[in-house]
Amino acid sequence: MKRKTLILTTILGLFAFTNHSGGIYKTNTGNISFYSHTPVEDISAENHKVKTAFSTESGQLQFSCLIKDFEFKKALMQEHFNENYMESTTYPKATFNGKIESISSIDFSKDGTYSSKVNGKLTIKNVTQDVATTGTFVVTNGVVNAKATFNLNPYDYNVKIPKMVAPKISESIKITINSDYTHRH
Amino acid sequence: MKKIALLSISFVILCVLLFVYRMFNKPHTNVKESQAAKLISAKQLFDYFDRNEDSAMVEFSDQIIQINGTLLSKDLSNELEPQIILKTNDTEGFIRCGFKPSELQNIEILKDSSTVNLKGICKGMNGDDELTLLEDKDVILSSSIIIE
Repeated sequence: MKRKTLILTTILGLFAFTNHSGGIYKTNTGNISFYSHTPVEDISAENHKVKTAFSTESGQLQFSCLIKDFEFKKALMQEHFNENYMESTTYPKATFNGKIESISSIDFSKDGTYSSKVNGKLTIKNVTQDVATTGTFVVTNGVVNAKATFNLNPYDYNVKIPKMVAPKISESIKITINSDYTHRH
Repeated sequence: MKKIALLSISFVILCVLLFVYRMFNKPHTNVKESQAAKLISAKQLFDYFDRNEDSAMVEFSDQIIQINGTLLSKDLSNELEPQIILKTNDTEGFIRCGFKPSELQNIEILKDSSTVNLKGICKGMNGDDELTLLEDKDVILSSSIIIE
């Protein structure tokens, strides 16, 4: 009887430890912006409703955002972006599924600044490409702010840009991610 | 005769330039001043997207929608776009409504579980079955305003 109790206590203890040390950090209000610079024109847009989460155990990092939710300063640019280039009614989302490589080096219980390589697959317009960058993770009172930037070429994601406007759109668009994650479970 | 022709051509060119300038600088949709294209409950809107996202996108996206529902919670974690979440029949499905920061005062006075009427531009449904960490799904409205 004593032995059974001991085994049960050990299993429960291990389960409790696993839950405590691991967990999911999440937000539905992450920010993604992009910036295209050419001598002809600068174009930028922001999205403040990015759904994103990561696991402190596996380092898996995911996000999903709606293309139509990118807001431009100029309404006409926003219209052209959605209707002509991104076809956002047909391809409504951009998603990322990847990994924070050095997740084990980040102490989520201690305030501090950490950095890690992030690798994964970015899907836009049903085209998936590998993406690699370095993310900065700032832990403050249990909130994790993650920042990362990388560049992408719109032509790699089947974005068709008419020749007439091509000089206005960069082939290296800077993507900036900035999200505050809180512990969920 | 030549002078009249020259004046006419100049006038036409001026009109074209003015039209191009106005098109290029046209303002974003003013939700407050615009009539809602559809009036629907939060539960019905989520059901449409959950049943068939493709056809719901065609029917609702980019439309100004007037929606009523029960407030689950306020999410003021992003000061660039304060948000509220409305309940649906699905425990893992919500309506997430984003507001301009100037609307913050109108959101702060809302009480959880109260009925909310608002207008906003429907953007689609965020979330992905393959991204398991994200768990739930949100139908997104932007540039929302609370209706008294």
